[in-house]
Amino acid sequence: MTAFFLLPFLWLATAAYKPSRDMFSVPPMLLFRPTLEQFATVLRIFDVRSLLSSSLLIATGSVGLSLLLGVPAGYALARSSSRYATVAAYFFMAVRMVPAVAALIPFYLMMRDVGLLGSWISVVLINSMLNSAFVTWMMFLYFRGLPKELEEAALTDGCTMFGAFWRAALPAVRSGVVASALFCLIFSWNDFLYPMFLTRLDSKPLSVALLAAFGTKDITWGALGALAHFSTIPIVLIVLALNRYFVQGLTKGIH
Amino acid sequence: MELNPDLRDHTATLSPRVALKRPVLAARSYADRRRLFLISMALPGLAYVVAVGVWPLTKGIWFSLYDYNLLKPAQTHFVGLRNYADVLDDSVARQAFSNTVVFTVSAVAVELVLGFAIALALWRDDRFNRVCLALILIPVTITPLVVGLIFRALLMPDYGLVGYYLAESGFSGPHGLFAYGSSALATLIFVDIWEWTPLVALILLAGLKALPSDIIEAARADGATGVQRLRMVIIPLMAPTIVLAVMLRTIDAFRIFDSIFVTTGGGPGNATNSLMLHAVKQGLEFFNIGLASAIANVTLLCIAVMATAFVILFRQADRRAHGS
Amino acid sequence: MTSIKGFFREIAIAGLVLAPLVGSAAAADKPLEGVTLTLASQNDQFAAVLAALAPKFKEQTGATLKVDILDYGSLLTKTTADFVGHTGGYDLITMDIVWSGQYAQNDYSVDLVDWIKRDASELQLDDIYPTLLNALGHYGDKQVAFPFAGYANVLAYRKDLFDAAGLSPPKTMEELTADAYKLTDPAKHQYGFVANGQKGPAVAQDWMQYNTEMGGSILGPDGKPALNSEANVKSLTVYRDLFQKAAPPGAVNYDWGGREESFRQGLVAQMQTWSVGAPGYYDPASSKIVDKVAIAPAPRGAGLPQLYGLGGWGLAINADIKDKQKQAAWAFIKWLDSPPEHKEFNLMGAGSFLRKSEMTDADLLAKFPFLPVIAVTFEHGDGEYRPRIPQYPQIQDILGTAVNSVLVGNTDPKAALDAAQLEAVKLF
Repeated sequence: MTAFFLLPFLWLATAAYKPSRDMFSVPPMLLFRPTLEQFATVLRIFDVRSLLSSSLLIATGSVGLSLLLGVPAGYALARSSSRYATVAAYFFMAVRMVPAVAALIPFYLMMRDVGLLGSWISVVLINSMLNSAFVTWMMFLYFRGLPKELEEAALTDGCTMFGAFWRAALPAVRSGVVASALFCLIFSWNDFLYPMFLTRLDSKPLSVALLAAFGTKDITWGALGALAHFSTIPIVLIVLALNRYFVQGLTKGIH
Repeated sequence: MELNPDLRDHTATLSPRVALKRPVLAARSYADRRRLFLISMALPGLAYVVAVGVWPLTKGIWFSLYDYNLLKPAQTHFVGLRNYADVLDDSVARQAFSNTVVFTVSAVAVELVLGFAIALALWRDDRFNRVCLALILIPVTITPLVVGLIFRALLMPDYGLVGYYLAESGFSGPHGLFAYGSSALATLIFVDIWEWTPLVALILLAGLKALPSDIIEAARADGATGVQRLRMVIIPLMAPTIVLAVMLRTIDAFRIFDSIFVTTGGGPGNATNSLMLHAVKQGLEFFNIGLASAIANVTLLCIAVMATAFVILFRQADRRAHGS
Repeated sequence: MTSIKGFFREIAIAGLVLAPLVGSAAAADKPLEGVTLTLASQNDQFAAVLAALAPKFKEQTGATLKVDILDYGSLLTKTTADFVGHTGGYDLITMDIVWSGQYAQNDYSVDLVDWIKRDASELQLDDIYPTLLNALGHYGDKQVAFPFAGYANVLAYRKDLFDAAGLSPPKTMEELTADAYKLTDPAKHQYGFVANGQKGPAVAQDWMQYNTEMGGSILGPDGKPALNSEANVKSLTVYRDLFQKAAPPGAVNYDWGGREESFRQGLVAQMQTWSVGAPGYYDPASSKIVDKVAIAPAPRGAGLPQLYGLGGWGLAINADIKDKQKQAAWAFIKWLDSPPEHKEFNLMGAGSFLRKSEMTDADLLAKFPFLPVIAVTFEHGDGEYRPRIPQYPQIQDILGTAVNSVLVGNTDPKAALDAAQLEAVKLF
């Protein structure tokens, strides 16, 4: 089963070490003489360092902003006695359903008017809108699963209301925060349409550059595979590192 | 996902125990302060979403009422609901709609079953299972466009690593999987399953790990077989998690376009055209913003209807699971 | 306005500086010091070469050139958004031949007519093929882009297979079709024909090419769509039969990449293609047919005038940028198209020809033996195989679905083109 999910990816990963003429053959062959030529091409054509740093800026920026906005909002909605709180939580969920095409052109013109077009910040702004809505919804569910006694105890000990949130409630759902962060990270890292529209050469992330390796006259599979190394390895490392929290995080919230 | 039943106290202002320790007058203002605090916690997030999200969306709805093409700005004029009528009247859009529904329903159904099986297989916590989980998550981390390209290369019938043998053996038909309407859509569903089953498995695994072990032990002690335990105990308890996974996947599957764009371009004919692909083409290739906005809004409406259905399911399942 | 005049003088000086003999210009002679130009480039072979030439341009003029390499879809979308939003993000844009109508209609780019007239001798205009100058940027009475990458539609074929069958490369479309069937042997994975079949621009462009060569036409004499004319239906029928009986089975879903790969893999005996891919066939690193390939002029329907398909790219200057940027962008175009630089550009593998002198240049001929074929094609070039009208993108989309449906056997040529015609008429 694991092999089923790995093998197609391995084909692309190995494509990076194949000379172009051996990318395909009739009948297909698995053996090839490995080369680093493809990596050399990618490094010559693309400013990989800039692509990688844009990707990281966009991903961390939008994860940070989404958590900053979404976690307190989720908490407030979970603890509110208002009937509208649940409605509001589902409103946030609905925001994430919006098709990109609907918001893209108006947002593009909006970013032009505030002078942020071409900057990675504009991508962070739009990604955070979608992500913070999602975080709010997820954290709403997490906080609702959390016994109130913890905060009440903190309050009787003389904590402020924010203190009770910060010192008692938040640490208890820490793993939920990590889980939300990971969902946001994967979303931002893979997002294509918004950054394609909103960034310029020096703010372009890897997800957009990958498609540029896909030529009209000639698909350069090797270059795509080489570039995919840079776009996959960092995120796999992060997922691996947070894997434990991830499962625990979801665990905590459900039931 | 709805939580500990005994703790699900929706009167979320703090219980009298805390308030009683304070003078009565203070208690009154405490409730006010509490409300103010909660509002100030929620407000930044809400304001942000409204400012950044709702404005462009409103604009999108506004655009959908106009004949508005960015390439011919001078011809812009109000047409009311004509764009929507055009969408409903257009056979291409109708086929895109039915393709999208078939795609979403089949992909999400298989992802759910397969994801559940994987989650059960990885339930026991040991090092091997943990490594497997990390490895099967790799598809999730690849941009969908690139996933489409990988499968396109593998499935080329004339020289692709897999497609060659599929064509030779007669499994795919000589022109390859992407060349026939039915197999092209099925293949795209397969690609979606490949990419997103791991995420579903992950969500479900987390749910499994949170099951109260005493209940399952009790069922085992009562002599229930594995299948019985699954059917009578585990699945009912997992219902909220399952609905959560289905809802997240449905939202994303309904907006599919990237992997289609790079494999078949919506063909052969219109056999794999999706609503989003149609909207992206109208909006970002022809800059026919009015029509594209209308298609996007119809899509949003479909997702919202489905999501509402799921929320209702979600609540029912939750109630059944917790017997409240 | 003295500053503008002064600037023109500087440009003139720049032209002199760029002459090859004065390669090592002193810093004071760098008139574009401090200017940064951003170029949106299609990811064809020339893109990497443009990026590689940027340091040299900076050394000679002081201007920094940044090349943003984009895929076709992103390039079209991003640059159009840049134009209609008046955001001035790109200074220079590689413009596909078929975008000319859109550019001219909407005044996206600077009209270069006066500048070309003024700088004619510096440009050595006589050395540039008039067909390219017309096709890659001239529309109505405007010049919306200046050519830098001419592509010739040529026939690439396998000498070994043609020789073995006792055939010579086809001169007419009728011969091409007959040879295609003769050279097909599916048991040996050997096919006589290949073209793009994938829904969308891929299949539409290849069929329009083929259709014109067969004597069909997308537009009627009145400039209105005539998709379902008798000649078009006939040509699509022949085309479909070729796909079903003489092409690799996967061709119905090929785009350019898939088609070229099938030829480089040795599956196919002959293929009409853009000359830009030709250097790749001779490159052992990417091709398995290095010693067996040859290039010939594209065939034409029997009895039709000698004309060949032209494609390629021009460089357009964004109309929304500041005057100083426009002047610098024009200086770059003149620099890139100057005989020594353009030769260098091609020696580095751009596959983008422009000048008559390049066709007889010994260094280039040594590397690219097929240049005489390109010369003939450019001499008798026709840029209207795909109509360069503003409605082109929609026409291409309609045909992209219609022709693909026919090739996969969903419908017959007459019905598909009738339906396409109904759609197309709505655009006019």
